[in-house]
Amino acid sequence: MRRVRTIPYSATARPDTGLTNARLAMWLFLASEAMLFGALFSSYVLLRTGAVAWPRQGDILDVPLAAINTVVLLASSGAMWTATRTVNAAAQRRALALTVLLGLLFLGLKGVEWAGELGRGLRPADSNFLGLYFLLTGLHALHVLGGVLASGWLLSTAASAMRRDPALFVTRVRVAGLYWHFVDAIWIVLFVVLYLT
Amino acid sequence: MRHSIIRKPLLRKYFISTDHKVVGLQYAVTSLVFLLVGFLLMLLARWQLAWPGTPVPLVGAWLGEANAPGGVILPEFYNQLIAMHGTIMVFLAVVPLAVGAFGNYLVPLQIGASDMAFPRLNAASFWLYLLGGLVMLAGFVAPGGAANSGWTSYPPLADLATTGQTVWLAGMLCIIVSSLLGSVNLITTVVQLRAPGLTWFRLPFFVWAQLVTAFLLLLAFPPLQAAALLQGMDRLAGTSFFLPTGLVVSGQAVAAAGDGSPLLWQHLFWFLAHPEVYVLILPAMGIVAEVIANNARRPLWGYRTMVRAALFLGFMSFTVWAHHMFLTGMGTVLSGFFQATTMIISVPSIVVMTALLLSLHRGSIRFTTPMLFALAFIPMFAIGGLTGLPLGLATTDVPLHDTNYVVGHFHYVVAPGTIFALFAGIYHWYPKVTGRLLHDGLGRIHFVGSLVAMNGIFLPMFVQGLGGVNRRLYDGGLQYAHAHGLAGLNVGMSYAAWLLAAVQLVFVVNLLMSLRSGRMAGDNPWQATTLEWTAAPTPPLAHGNFASPPRVFHPAYEYSVPGAAADFTPQNEEVG
Ligand code: HEM
Ligand SMILES: [Cu+2]
Repeated sequence: MRRVRTIPYSATARPDTGLTNARLAMWLFLASEAMLFGALFSSYVLLRTGAVAWPRQGDILDVPLAAINTVVLLASSGAMWTATRTVNAAAQRRALALTVLLGLLFLGLKGVEWAGELGRGLRPADSNFLGLYFLLTGLHALHVLGGVLASGWLLSTAASAMRRDPALFVTRVRVAGLYWHFVDAIWIVLFVVLYLT
Repeated sequence: MRHSIIRKPLLRKYFISTDHKVVGLQYAVTSLVFLLVGFLLMLLARWQLAWPGTPVPLVGAWLGEANAPGGVILPEFYNQLIAMHGTIMVFLAVVPLAVGAFGNYLVPLQIGASDMAFPRLNAASFWLYLLGGLVMLAGFVAPGGAANSGWTSYPPLADLATTGQTVWLAGMLCIIVSSLLGSVNLITTVVQLRAPGLTWFRLPFFVWAQLVTAFLLLLAFPPLQAAALLQGMDRLAGTSFFLPTGLVVSGQAVAAAGDGSPLLWQHLFWFLAHPEVYVLILPAMGIVAEVIANNARRPLWGYRTMVRAALFLGFMSFTVWAHHMFLTGMGTVLSGFFQATTMIISVPSIVVMTALLLSLHRGSIRFTTPMLFALAFIPMFAIGGLTGLPLGLATTDVPLHDTNYVVGHFHYVVAPGTIFALFAGIYHWYPKVTGRLLHDGLGRIHFVGSLVAMNGIFLPMFVQGLGGVNRRLYDGGLQYAHAHGLAGLNVGMSYAAWLLAAVQLVFVVNLLMSLRSGRMAGDNPWQATTLEWTAAPTPPLAHGNFASPPRVFHPAYEYSVPGAAADFTPQNEEVG
């Protein structure tokens, strides 16, 4: 006889902690992500304050394009927010699809921006600022890509998952939402720090 | 319908299973192999230290002409040996054994859970760890050999080192991601999957230790991840995050934009690496607490205080990192801060040690092999911890920094400290895993031999260090006049290292032999109180751990309770 093994609190919250496993795990993961980006921002501060000269960031980078991209990402967060709130399955799928599309648009615009900079001969090795710029935006883009893939996977499995275990699916979407908003928030900080200061 | 008599093919059982016990065993075997590899690297280095410039016997010819022409170890190769020894021991051997193996195998059993919260993620952590380890080892065949800038990888040296350093960074990134996934999983498991009735203060201390450790890994590793990315950029994309302006190496100006900060690496590295030392010690304390309570037949003295001390320790460990950097010219205010926090953080360690000692008071102690290792842990860790205090005060650290004294300090805490605790744990839980006890006589030989040998290796390091002998010298210091009188100690230390190797052979033989011929353990051979012994069969079920979900009614260490029927009360024994 095969015993079915299910891990408790995958879809419903444990009463005394009020959390599902995935939700707690995502918060923990985001805490570590905050430490990762926090360490990189601290490095930025340390290098900038210790620098003999620092380029005028806004003159080098394409601020208007990045501003548009910020709006795109904010819009995607809005879409994701809808996906995590709505009780209507079709609306949820539409919202997820919109999130994915806006995420892809963000990545595309970011690619255009990078191509422009590389085309103008800018390289990470030129200065610590450019090095950090490429590293931070590249790392962030990877995070967006991860979110796009995760949301895309949710979308592609939505129909069958909703049939099998709707509570689990809703939990997954909410957890993906947490991640997405976090990545969005990181971008806001990046935008302010790298483009506007 | 399949019957349980039909054995699952080995491949399915041990390679693609996601059960936490299998993953734990995978971690255990892999990390023990890495422990051996790290040890062998050190044996080579110890030959060079004791008899510098003479060909390594037996294996000398295999080391390669580029590393050891005629069997004589070149300085460059010595640097690789030391850097890889440190890296492997910390990141691939001791921590994966303490956290990946012990944590994975025991935590779900001790909290009455059927598995980790995310079994597949758990398996993924293991494979990533293995990948990271293999990548690290691959460094040895990179052009110029493996990483050679020390386990601390300080720039500018590491920025400019041979390809092996890039390989090191790649391996480190795998290990970091693996460890992040693992700690997320462990914390979630403990918070969410505790059995009914298993309240926070009924958790075995071991679980608490693992929980705090997981938090340290979770929050301390990302800065090293950041640092590794930055160093990778320096090496591959030509940035100079860690390269100052006007750097000249061997008379040649380094071609880089400059304006970077070598100190930035040190901050990021030690922000991880100091909490990492508590990652090394906390699980060890957890194991020792279990073994001592069980063999002294007493409840842990001050259990709640111990838990609070562990929490405080975890918190404080994020505030002391710059005590590794007193010699970098930091101002007195900053150094005052880090001296103060370092003194404060030694208090909870001492609280835990004192509680363990007091737990022995009025116990009827059984001197089993695991207990011997656990008992020896206390004074050995104490030597390590107490020698840390002069390092934590800037005035005394100035002459001691980067000498063999520091090497002695941290080896006392990690080798006869943590590794002894891990040995204690292996002797204690081997019957849980296999259903058979390890051979006691061989265990005692292993214990006495290791105790003598480890002190023989590490005690003289204090003498050398106090005499001003620097660490990481490939000839043991012969190039300096002041080290001549102390270089002779290296010979005895190296003999002690061979002895240590010999008694580890006894251990390996015991591990393998007892699989077949060890005495049958029965369900609860140590008459323990915690769930892994009292609620689960020995050896445990292949899946699901418990025939029926356990309920908990008692604190973790109800030993010798007056009026109780036996001298131990299982945590899941129903109160009448
Ligand atoms: C309990 C009190 C402790 C104190 C006050 C202390 C203090 C210190 C200080 C100040 C240093 C830097 C010395 C220098 O480089 O000049 C140091 C190095 C070190 N300590 Fe400790 N320590 C303590 C416990 C531990 C424990 C429990 C561990 C690990 C299990 C540990 C592992 C290390 C390691 C690995 C290094 C050397 C790192 C390196 O430079 O390669 N220490 N300790
Ligand atoms: Cu430290």
